[in-house]
Amino acid sequence: MNDIKDTEARVNITYGGKNGDLPDPVFFQSTDGDVKNWVTEAVRAGSVPGLDAAPNADFSDFVVDRFAASEARPYNLIQLRPKTPFGFASCDHCAECLMKRVGMSCCGCGSKR
Amino acid sequence: MIVVVGVGALGSHLVQFIRNEKVDIKVIDFDRVEQKNVMSQFHGKPGVGKNKVAALQQTMDFLFKRQIAVVSNKLVAENIDALMRRATLVVDCLDNGASRKLVQDYVREHGLPCLHGALAPGGAFGRSIWDDQFVIDSEVGAGAATCEDGEFLPFIALTAAYMARSVQLFLKDGKKVGFSISPVSAVAI
Repeated sequence: MNDIKDTEARVNITYGGKNGDLPDPVFFQSTDGDVKNWVTEAVRAGSVPGLDAAPNADFSDFVVDRFAASEARPYNLIQLRPKTPFGFASCDHCAECLMKRVGMSCCGCGSKR
Repeated sequence: MIVVVGVGALGSHLVQFIRNEKVDIKVIDFDRVEQKNVMSQFHGKPGVGKNKVAALQQTMDFLFKRQIAVVSNKLVAENIDALMRRATLVVDCLDNGASRKLVQDYVREHGLPCLHGALAPGGAFGRSIWDDQFVIDSEVGAGAATCEDGEFLPFIALTAAYMARSVQLFLKDGKKVGFSISPVSAVAI
């Protein structure tokens, strides 16, 4: 990748169990919408090293994170990643389980919706 | 004192990874160990049916002679001050936005350092992230994959290990280093 200026950022993408960077940096203050559009185009076209081409790739439900350069990482970073709602493994049913909501264990119905 | 909130997948592994730190550890979780948890969490079959905190306390004592303090209550607005009062570091390993918000509001109000751990459904992504950079993600919709079966145990443990590294660096010299963890690589943030 080209040298990254202070006003630019590396764009890192996690998709389909793999990880890669856009070939070129982008303006650090680019909008989330622009970042998602550029990444969608690149992933669909197969131009992201490390990611397989995915003609139907959809990043509309992904999250854009921005991290300014730091001692540990001397360049700005934009990450496009899946949502991370879990701190521990629970089934989707736990989110709506009445038992769990009132402070008890999930009813353990085995639901995995 | 490190207070770990939530000792399911991330929290249970994290506690055993930070066991060598010379600091008191308190864990908070109201949930009980279910059979399926044994597949992905640092809880064994003898713990099934017990409170997760009690099961973890027994495991840590049995395997490592490491003592931890435990609270088997649900963390709510009415008790958070009493449960967090002696904390010098809070580690959030919760599984829902509402509880995360409760913790975030508290640590921000009291100026407490807080590390958040988070996983994407299906083991697609993990985060070890300090509170000043942390935005709570919205819940995923019904039908999303979960991390509950054993397939994602290595990735869950990997994410917990990065969290433990964040804790270790913070305890050593106060540096707040987080990590974004994909299934194939990680980057410091």
